[in-house]
Amino acid sequence: MFKNEEMEINLGPQHPSTHGVLRVKLRLDGETITHCRPVIGYLHRGVEKICENQTFFQGQVWTDRMDYCSAVANNLGWAEANEKLFGITVPRRAQYIRTLLNEFNRLASHLIWLATHALDIGAMTVFLYAFREREDILDMNEAFCGSRLTTTAFRIGGLREDLPPGFEKLVKKFLAKFPTCIEEYENLLSENRIWKKRTIGVAKLSAEDAIAMGVTGPVLRAAGVPYDIRKAFPYAAYAEMDFEVPTRTEADTYARYLVRMAEMRQSARIIQQCMDGMPEGPVMAKLPKIMRAEVNEVYHATEAPKGEIGYYLVGEKGSGNPYRFHVRAPGFINLQSLPKMAEGGLIADIVAAIGTLDIVLGEIDR
Amino acid sequence: MTEPNLPGSPEVPEAPAGPYVYDYSASPQRQIVMPKTVPLPSLKTYLAEQEAAAVADEAKWQKMLADFEIAKVKAEAEGKDAPKPPVRPVPRKDDNDMKTPWPQEANDADLHRLQERLGDKVEEIFEQAGELTCQVSKDAILEALQLCRDDAALNYEMLADETATHYPVATNFTFSVVYHLTSISRRKRLRLRILIPEGFSPESACAVYPGANWMEREVYDMLGIRFVNHPDMTRILCPEDWEGYPLRKDYPVVGWGQRDIAFREDRGGMIERIALQKAGQLGINHKQPKAE
Repeated sequence: MFKNEEMEINLGPQHPSTHGVLRVKLRLDGETITHCRPVIGYLHRGVEKICENQTFFQGQVWTDRMDYCSAVANNLGWAEANEKLFGITVPRRAQYIRTLLNEFNRLASHLIWLATHALDIGAMTVFLYAFREREDILDMNEAFCGSRLTTTAFRIGGLREDLPPGFEKLVKKFLAKFPTCIEEYENLLSENRIWKKRTIGVAKLSAEDAIAMGVTGPVLRAAGVPYDIRKAFPYAAYAEMDFEVPTRTEADTYARYLVRMAEMRQSARIIQQCMDGMPEGPVMAKLPKIMRAEVNEVYHATEAPKGEIGYYLVGEKGSGNPYRFHVRAPGFINLQSLPKMAEGGLIADIVAAIGTLDIVLGEIDR
Repeated sequence: MTEPNLPGSPEVPEAPAGPYVYDYSASPQRQIVMPKTVPLPSLKTYLAEQEAAAVADEAKWQKMLADFEIAKVKAEAEGKDAPKPPVRPVPRKDDNDMKTPWPQEANDADLHRLQERLGDKVEEIFEQAGELTCQVSKDAILEALQLCRDDAALNYEMLADETATHYPVATNFTFSVVYHLTSISRRKRLRLRILIPEGFSPESACAVYPGANWMEREVYDMLGIRFVNHPDMTRILCPEDWEGYPLRKDYPVVGWGQRDIAFREDRGGMIERIALQKAGQLGINHKQPKAE
């Protein structure tokens, strides 16, 4: 190229490393990124508008299809927001099962992140191992609710069905082998020289910047802020669980990798506690046949694998539809910080920056 | 699948002559159902409603008593048995796990702190479903956000969410804009709310919380509220040339026909033929038919 001339290029919208239809406009000075602007909206389906024109119950299938890698976590936030709006108390057994499935979902989501992120950076082997374990989790989803990805797992007020017979056996089998699986992934990556060169010091985002931009989830925790909604504002059965919030202070891609790996271990711990302390009882609250809302507005946030997923609902008196249905998608807010991470870095590192944010365009565009 | 009719064969119906205007009101999915009420949660409104309901209840009871007296006198005069005295109806108790959260008086120290510092710029404070709401006047929102972030007793470091709601039926405002703040260190949440009329541009929160950038772009894209002093006030999810604001209540669910070609009603090829006709009139080399 000519000297002192900046070049503009488009990354995406169809590019394997953007994990969907994300387009990033880049201005380059040689190999250094001087300007970065993410362009989104290619997958916009108007989920909020559609849910406002359906009943409270029908909204759930749309939450499945926002972040399709963590449908259960989306369902949980949706169900709890509705329960807050109506003032419903959920039975304790249902809370435990929800927690259990939510943690399985966190594992599945982190596994798919690990697989694709490593694949983007060039470590191919771990992809196959991570998908092997994810398959077991999807089998468990199938055993519980009949579908693997878009689960529609919960109902307002609890669950539709109790755990199927033999579910405990599946969980036990999974928990027995999972710690060794994590070790396998770490053996492949943690001390891998290429992996470390491509991640350490790459796509840094300081704690101040992350808080100012509203970034949540593992990205915030890797910057040293121990903010986990499961601890800060406990929901479902998390108040009764004993687990740690892993944090790192390096705030780079490698730190985020370590945080997520530590989180998977904690998730396995929570699953074990759920199975040990599973109370008996009903799984569905007693509800009137026809549910009509009162004038009320709620914002309920839960910790999805990607960060804080919040549902803002406005109820209208006597209506069966939400008057306003808004989703605070973690990926949408986290993606805002991409220019901050990528500008000043190399073009090859933007792939790492996108991967480390763990974005799913389905929830960003909604 | 049936074979498509070849042009020129006698079964093909004639395309309508002249400019064809699609009748958007024909399909039920295109109907705009405007809301009838203003579901804005508020303690003042709730108390006023409760009072009105109590008055109506009392009036109904008095009428029942009066009717009973009349019936009694009438029965005495006719020499019949005296009618049963009325029983005051008690509200039915439902046996379920649902307990509707009503707005309550503000007890939280944060809300009182805000009221103390902002004075009469605070329009209302209340709690509902365990959530704190503070409604401030529309010109004081930046000041309120600044206070929430910088005041040592409040210390709300993060703007979790910002969104708006359209209230087309309300008389003195059109939109409510809500800001959900999170205090990571104090483990608290707070909702700030402003009510704005159509055409009013509130101050952008980007100066205090840079994360508001995309949230405000989304609000502008979906509801058409422009924010003052925003660094980049452009559409974010819809294309730049999109008409209308989809999350307004007067926008139909299926849109205004921007993507009508593939719709079921049009499978007969009506639109395609019209588009072809139009293209012929305009002299365009027609490939992808576009709806009107």
